[in-house]
Amino acid sequence: MEALGDFVWPRATSELILLPVTGLECVGDRLLAGEGPDLLVYNLDFGGHLRMVKRVQNLLGHFLIHGFRVRPEPKGDLDSEAMVAVFGSKGLRIVKISWGQSHLRELWRSGLWNMSDWIWDVRWLEGNVALALGHNSVVLYDPVIGCMLQDVPCTDRCTLSSACLIGDTWKELTIVAGAVSNQLLVWYPATALTDNKPVAPDRRVSGHVGVIFSMSYLESKGLLATASEDRSVRIWKVGDLRVPGGRVQNIGHCFGHSARVWQVKLLENYLISAGEDCVCLVWSHEGEILQAFRGHQGRGIRAIAAHERQAWVITGGDDSGIRLWHLVGRGYQGLGVSALCFKSPSRPGALKAVTLAGSWRVLAVTDAGALYLYDMEVKCWEQLLEDNRFQSYSLLEAAPGPEGFGLCALANGEGLVKVVPINTPTAAVDQNLFSGKVHSLSWALRGYEELLLLASGPGGVVACLEISAAPTGKAIFVKERCRYLLPPSKQRWHTCSAFLPPGDFLVCGDRRGSVLLFPARPSLFKSPGVGSKAITEAEAPAAGGGSGASENVATGLGPVSALHSLHGKQGVTSVTCHGGYVYSTGRDGSYYQLFVHGGQLQPVLRQKSCRGMNWIAGLRMVPDGSMVILGFHANEFIVWSPRSHEKLHIVNCGGGHRSWAFSDTEAAMAFAYLKDGDVMLYRALGGCTRPNVILREGLHGREITCVKRVGTVTLGPEFEVPSLELPDYLEPGSEGPGLIDIVLTCSEDTTVCVLALPTTTGSAHALTAVCNHISSVRALAVWGIGSPGGPQDPRPGLTAQVVSAGGRAEMHCFSLMVTPDASAPSRLACHVMHLSSHRLDEYWGRQRNRHRMVKVDPETRYMSLAICEFDSDKPGYGPLVAAACSDGAVRLFLLQDSGRILHLLAETFHHKRCVLKVHSFTHEAPNQRRRLILCSAATDGTLAFWDLTTAMDRGSTTLGSPAHPGLPYQLGSPCLTVQAHSCGVNSLHTLPTPEGHHLVASGSEDGSLHVFILAVKMPEAQEADGEAEQLVPQLCVLEEYSVPCAHAAHVTGLKILSPSLMVSASIDQRLTFWRLGRGEPTFMNSTVYHVPDVADMDCWPVSPEFGHRCALGGQGLEVYNWYD
Amino acid sequence: MGRTSKDKRDVYYRLAKENGWRARSAFKLLQLDEEFQLFQGVKRVVDLCAAPGSWSQVLSQKVGGQTNGQVVAVDLQAMAPLPGVIQIQGDITQLSTAKEIIQHFEGCPADLVVCDGAPDVTGLHDVDEYMQAQLLLAALNIATHVLKLGGCFVAKIFRGRDVTLLYSQLRVFFSSVLCAKPKSSRNSSIEAFAVCQGYDPPEGFIPDLTRPLLDHSYDSDFNQLDGPTRVIVPFVTCGDLSAYDSDRSYPLNLEDGSEYKYTPPTQPPISPPYQEACRLKKNGQLAKELLPQECSINRVDKLPQPLIVPQCHTLLAPKVGDTGRNSSPLTH
Repeated sequence: MEALGDFVWPRATSELILLPVTGLECVGDRLLAGEGPDLLVYNLDFGGHLRMVKRVQNLLGHFLIHGFRVRPEPKGDLDSEAMVAVFGSKGLRIVKISWGQSHLRELWRSGLWNMSDWIWDVRWLEGNVALALGHNSVVLYDPVIGCMLQDVPCTDRCTLSSACLIGDTWKELTIVAGAVSNQLLVWYPATALTDNKPVAPDRRVSGHVGVIFSMSYLESKGLLATASEDRSVRIWKVGDLRVPGGRVQNIGHCFGHSARVWQVKLLENYLISAGEDCVCLVWSHEGEILQAFRGHQGRGIRAIAAHERQAWVITGGDDSGIRLWHLVGRGYQGLGVSALCFKSPSRPGALKAVTLAGSWRVLAVTDAGALYLYDMEVKCWEQLLEDNRFQSYSLLEAAPGPEGFGLCALANGEGLVKVVPINTPTAAVDQNLFSGKVHSLSWALRGYEELLLLASGPGGVVACLEISAAPTGKAIFVKERCRYLLPPSKQRWHTCSAFLPPGDFLVCGDRRGSVLLFPARPSLFKSPGVGSKAITEAEAPAAGGGSGASENVATGLGPVSALHSLHGKQGVTSVTCHGGYVYSTGRDGSYYQLFVHGGQLQPVLRQKSCRGMNWIAGLRMVPDGSMVILGFHANEFIVWSPRSHEKLHIVNCGGGHRSWAFSDTEAAMAFAYLKDGDVMLYRALGGCTRPNVILREGLHGREITCVKRVGTVTLGPEFEVPSLELPDYLEPGSEGPGLIDIVLTCSEDTTVCVLALPTTTGSAHALTAVCNHISSVRALAVWGIGSPGGPQDPRPGLTAQVVSAGGRAEMHCFSLMVTPDASAPSRLACHVMHLSSHRLDEYWGRQRNRHRMVKVDPETRYMSLAICEFDSDKPGYGPLVAAACSDGAVRLFLLQDSGRILHLLAETFHHKRCVLKVHSFTHEAPNQRRRLILCSAATDGTLAFWDLTTAMDRGSTTLGSPAHPGLPYQLGSPCLTVQAHSCGVNSLHTLPTPEGHHLVASGSEDGSLHVFILAVKMPEAQEADGEAEQLVPQLCVLEEYSVPCAHAAHVTGLKILSPSLMVSASIDQRLTFWRLGRGEPTFMNSTVYHVPDVADMDCWPVSPEFGHRCALGGQGLEVYNWYD
Repeated sequence: MGRTSKDKRDVYYRLAKENGWRARSAFKLLQLDEEFQLFQGVKRVVDLCAAPGSWSQVLSQKVGGQTNGQVVAVDLQAMAPLPGVIQIQGDITQLSTAKEIIQHFEGCPADLVVCDGAPDVTGLHDVDEYMQAQLLLAALNIATHVLKLGGCFVAKIFRGRDVTLLYSQLRVFFSSVLCAKPKSSRNSSIEAFAVCQGYDPPEGFIPDLTRPLLDHSYDSDFNQLDGPTRVIVPFVTCGDLSAYDSDRSYPLNLEDGSEYKYTPPTQPPISPPYQEACRLKKNGQLAKELLPQECSINRVDKLPQPLIVPQCHTLLAPKVGDTGRNSSPLTH
């Protein structure tokens, strides 16, 4: 490469952008969405499905799209083509699109016109456009040739925060401007006597106490709506605004949002508003809330659009998600609560319990021991049986299955269980199981083949009954198969049970929060070891058994595997087996994914449900493959979808302490509960799903803090399915093996996300999110990258170990396995398993009286992580994780047992300031030991280098012993410190040079770059062997360069690609290439990217054909690529 | 967490409260002064966008304390009064405000104009950067009316994508423009301060508040969008090395040995825009959507109704018609 070529090579081009959706517009049956400078077009009528048809790239250069204005066609023919004015910040471009027959083409685009000021609104006036600009002026513009025809300012040149243009000709053009003074200014640009002559405002309207962010005018009703910083929406009766001097009357002041309101839109019958609280509200024009759409994550909804004919509302969020919602007006179709009018003189007694057999039969038992059936088809109560042995205490559970298998079970306080066929109650079978109270009943169903009923009696004994029916269906048989024994605890009974496919084991949850595994057929079960042998109460530890006093010797089979107190003291509420995993829910507000390996239960991942829902009652798989969580939040029953973050159903039932039952089928979902002595029934047609559509999944709700590429999965042609998302986007020749990069992102929203970025489609798929952190996640580190079947396995896939760390000094370690999955849209499945976690202030959480004490310790945040892998010749000695801590420390953690044990080994407070970055590298030289060197950088601009190999040597004096046993070692003083910058170091990278040295580059808050060559010299061995181990290398700086004004803001991403090429990224939104190796780094070229506040960058080579890829994470994600 | 968590997260927030400053930004001005000796020989100073008033506090101490020292604070919002500071509640884009300032200085121009104003960020980066730039340019515009030749102008900037355009605009009016960041401003923040010294407007420039100063646009040769000739002004870090690190998390008991004592905030905000909304929320008066059970009256017809409703209910219980249930069988 010669000097001439330097300024063009290498040139980065944008491949993929995930940014807040800031513009949305419905045109006919298409949806236009603006994301960064790109236009996404969705087809809304594709056989009832919705899909993206095309991405029109780079319409606005370095500006972001804030809106679209479609040119009205006099013939009303927008079905074949449309002229769209696309605008955002100071840029405007017109694009002509044709979209006949599902094929979308860009016919023509104008130049990108740069205005002198911010564009708040655009309106087509026949062939020209009128623009409302930032300092209260209106411009008439010819968008085809790009020239200004008129420029009329207002006399009040205040800064605007929004504007709305009304009228179809220049003569009648009206502007309503939202000024910083919180007033609305109405004025008429055409009344200017001459061009450039300021026009005085016709009207000033006050009302809001914050600035106005959005306005919408409904001409047919003469209404104007405004959305403001003061969290309210106001509705104004304005009449025809084009007529000067009209009266403006505030007819509605709507408070409903809990944060600022960004957007408002008036429809013929509704008012739609959306804001920072991520809620989209549907109001009547009278100011009453009709519907609320919740589901977006993060910092709010930025754009709304409506399709009035279809009654759809479409919202675009800061999380870069796009969702479609159904406007149904007042209330919900096919939903409602009804009382089933149980109380009657003919039905004495009070209701004790209720259950649902399928979604159309309700069963209830009274304190008189009578069992009643309510059939929703017949709509009446019917007494099935009455048995006074079930007076005062009675449990009632219907068997699972679509129609409840036609069975239910009752249990009483004297150890009696009655199994009742609902259709022939006379054939009920009694079984006397215990001499004491039956504490709980649960069913377990395997296909249609095996049905078990589990009943917990005194002393933790669980009787397992086998239920079968005679071929005639007239009689049932109940046979006790075996007895299990629960681990001792105060409240020693089981709460739930399920078969573990294929059916050899039963998974149970108990009241103490443990999840247990029992053999389903103990007679066939070959004992693999301890635990499975029959134990007696006398043998069992005496700690528990409080309720088992009456029974002296209870025998039963212990669990073969147990996860003790997984869900805490409040107990497990349900267990479900699905897709190779076991899911358990509990009253600790979490649900666990578990799996059984080698006959042992292992926790995989803990997940939290929505905020405030601390009582999770169950979990269901719905037909579309996703899951829903059932739970109670205060006095409400909630069905919540973790996928869409939506509360699908909310029933104000009074809380979970009453008897309740839930049932769902594809046709309907039902929830029955007891209230005021009656059975209340909530039914929703369509089951647990809601018709709301996620057009595009959101990524992170808040800023991305770290981006890390894990590896690449190469999928063979058998997985090569033409991309559904971008049919027009595929270029010929891009077939062949599908390379998919697996990238991890973490965010302030407390989650870590696994992304798949295929090289062929320019799309991104979120595979999994890990939500274990309680505070923001700031750093990630990856090690142990391999393939699922070991190095010899030719099958595609990827495994890796990941450490994440962030606020509240919290660190988690998990493993990742990505395998092909032809059924998923991404063609990949990702399995995550949580391995270990660590918190510096764990001791504090255990202090009982902490609420009355002041915690004096600093609230440490982890700022950055680095993995330091030692030689493989030390077995069992996992890698070290170095963490940069905000309390001024560099901490070293030791990972053992492939990540299952994580503990603090050593620390140093050398920097005495917030440590921002850590980076590790190895030094290898012929005839020398491989040396691990750690570099740390702090807010004062210094870099410190630590020789970890020497420090970790056994008997080394570098590692000072801790002051107290149990406290970490002291990591002494660094080998070398370099004052590289005057302020904080935000990026750091190293690369070994061919000469055996290391290139070290750092970028700082002040926009400067610092590059130097670090030499590692070993002092000559003076004495014979033995001592060689103790030699300490000397680090020194050979050449040092600095570029003071490389960027205009923090340099947050830096990578040395080769000894002659470096790339840097900054908050000033430039990706810049630098030439190295000829003295001072020299500028080669730079590209403006669209992600603001970039916090991290990762670069990697993909393949010779594809070149390099670079992912930038900040308030969004952008992927660039370039060829070497 | 509790009330001490903010004290722990941010040492300057805590120090500001303990030292009686209205906001932690007071330290920023003090550290800027340490580096640039901003107040040397300064008699008349204007604080634009002054609320809540921490910079005015510093100015009144450093300048107002001297003989003939005068401090004028301007803000759109009301601000709690400060001794030795003349307050103007007005818009900095209005000529009347400029005239009022000059009036307070008895016709003399100001030696120093400072502006620590920032718009309420919306989270949309391009909008926020634009709004901040407009605020700075409005401050610059009024400064051209009140600043003496050779005077000094200090204003907050956001170092985002187009900050170089602001630099080039400022360099039109000042002989020296530097970007400075005090140690009390966090590393994670994109804020910095433009320190412009030696006010020297271009020849023939007539200050005009009726026309807003617009920011520059990228030029194909002089100030390129992505080329090598971007105007990046030198960067200076202010505050000595022994100063507290604003990014570091400190224990509550600081090194000087003094024991921690909680101090309440000095000056809570005066009537923020969201006050009414918060009051309604606190009283549970925000409008809420209808839950399905609340409209069950209209919806019951969608559901299968019980066929046998004992007659006594419909006769005696008045509420049966709308709730479909009866709570008092004793009425029978």
